Amino acid sequence: MKKYIFHIDANSAYLSWQAVYDLQHGSNIDLRNIASAIGGDKSKRKGIILAKSLKAKKAGVKTGQPLFEALRACPKLTIVSPNYQLYMACSDEMMSIIQTFSEKVERFSVDECFMELSCKDPLTIAYQLKNTIYKTLGFTVNIGISTNKLLAKMGSELEKPNKVHTLFEDEIMEKMWPLPVNELFMVGRATNKKLRKYGINTIGQLAKTDIEFLSLMMKSHGRLIWHYANGLDSSPVKKDSRKIKGIGNSTTTPFDVDDIRYASLFILSLTEMVALRLRANNMMCHVVHVSYHRASQGGGQGRQRKLITPTDNTNTIYKIAMELFKEIWDEGPIRHFGVRVTMLNTAEIYQKSIFDEKNLEKKRRLNKHIDLLRVKYGSQTIKRASFIESGIKNINGGIHEEYPMMTSLL
Amino acid sequence: MKILMKSVDMICVSNKDGKISPIKYKFVGKDEQIHIVKINKILERNEERLAGNRMYIYKVMSVINNSKRVYEMKYELATCKWYIYKM
Ligand SMILES: [Mg+2]
Repeated sequence: MKKYIFHIDANSAYLSWQAVYDLQHGSNIDLRNIASAIGGDKSKRKGIILAKSLKAKKAGVKTGQPLFEALRACPKLTIVSPNYQLYMACSDEMMSIIQTFSEKVERFSVDECFMELSCKDPLTIAYQLKNTIYKTLGFTVNIGISTNKLLAKMGSELEKPNKVHTLFEDEIMEKMWPLPVNELFMVGRATNKKLRKYGINTIGQLAKTDIEFLSLMMKSHGRLIWHYANGLDSSPVKKDSRKIKGIGNSTTTPFDVDDIRYASLFILSLTEMVALRLRANNMMCHVVHVSYHRASQGGGQGRQRKLITPTDNTNTIYKIAMELFKEIWDEGPIRHFGVRVTMLNTAEIYQKSIFDEKNLEKKRRLNKHIDLLRVKYGSQTIKRASFIESGIKNINGGIHEEYPMMTSLL
Repeated sequence: MKILMKSVDMICVSNKDGKISPIKYKFVGKDEQIHIVKINKILERNEERLAGNRMYIYKVMSVINNSKRVYEMKYELATCKWYIYKM
């Protein structure tokens, strides 16, 4: 029996998960069959598209696009607000089904897993897995099969949705090399631009470029993508690496912010969501990071601080974020704010050591109840008095949970 | 059968093994009257985990307006809500 690596990736995850959930609750519209997207608040200009249906894609809606732009491209677009609790439930259930096929499963992101399995017929296994997920959970996945993680991941990207692909070493030339270079894992927008400037347009061209040249041009990253373009990767499938590395949240402001009151409100509104997600994951953070971008000529600053004791308290994170912000702000106009927490630990361990601190327990209970109300009845249910009449939403931004990247595991 | 997904107030039994069975429910009809409907028989039990959300599905029989009706009810574990699913 040979060892194979499978990459399992939910098709338009957020969107199809919401669609299945709606159908289960009696909706007569399948979001997957209309022009629809998951994103921030439709009535506000803020928020971005997080996922879109095929019809929306055809109309020109792009992931990461601001809502107002998406609505301009597709005025009939149905936009649904994100529901992170649902996504985590879908992600967990998908994981648990995959774990019935193999013991060695790595959660790579909320909708992607790697699975290692020694077997005779990987195609049959992949179809079984795909069908089990569809029958049980109601959504489709793509599966890529190969002998390493990189090729398995590139394989699952080949044609969507609801497909199984192999991408073995002897298929690289035919299946992967003709693809545009930006479709290679770890080739982002900046790298793509550089490569195109040197006439490297396909993955195949990158594979045949002199590695020393790439190394000169972009250091270790150049070497990395050269290896990937040649299908070379030896990173192991790591069990239980579902730990989130950090939770970040950022927003572009609708006007230039040059006054500390508004700055503090934006930072608070971002912190509210970060802290809520932190608590929803039952985690505490050791590091708080704050950043801003200037309104004109780009540029910006960021600063972080390590805490003596970890926290999941909104007020504590906010207080530190504001201290950091005051240290780095030159009072120039700002157009973008970011708040991030890292070095996360599970909250259970912490709880025990502070058990006798009555006040802290009280604060944690209060936070928990506010979270419950907001999840159940919407983020506007409870808000701090400072937001009243400010014109700023009390909870802001597009949340981002960072799972470990493949490179960091090599 | 048509999908209704109408929520109802339910009296149910949870036995020693944790098995939940619907007994009778109350709902407000189109006529704005309150109707009480007894579950005369449970014909089938199923479970689904769509979108990771667990629901029990019951195929049941009730006597409504003097005629036997076979239809489906759903119980959502996460919210403890009962629904008339398909009728
Ligand atoms: Mg996906």
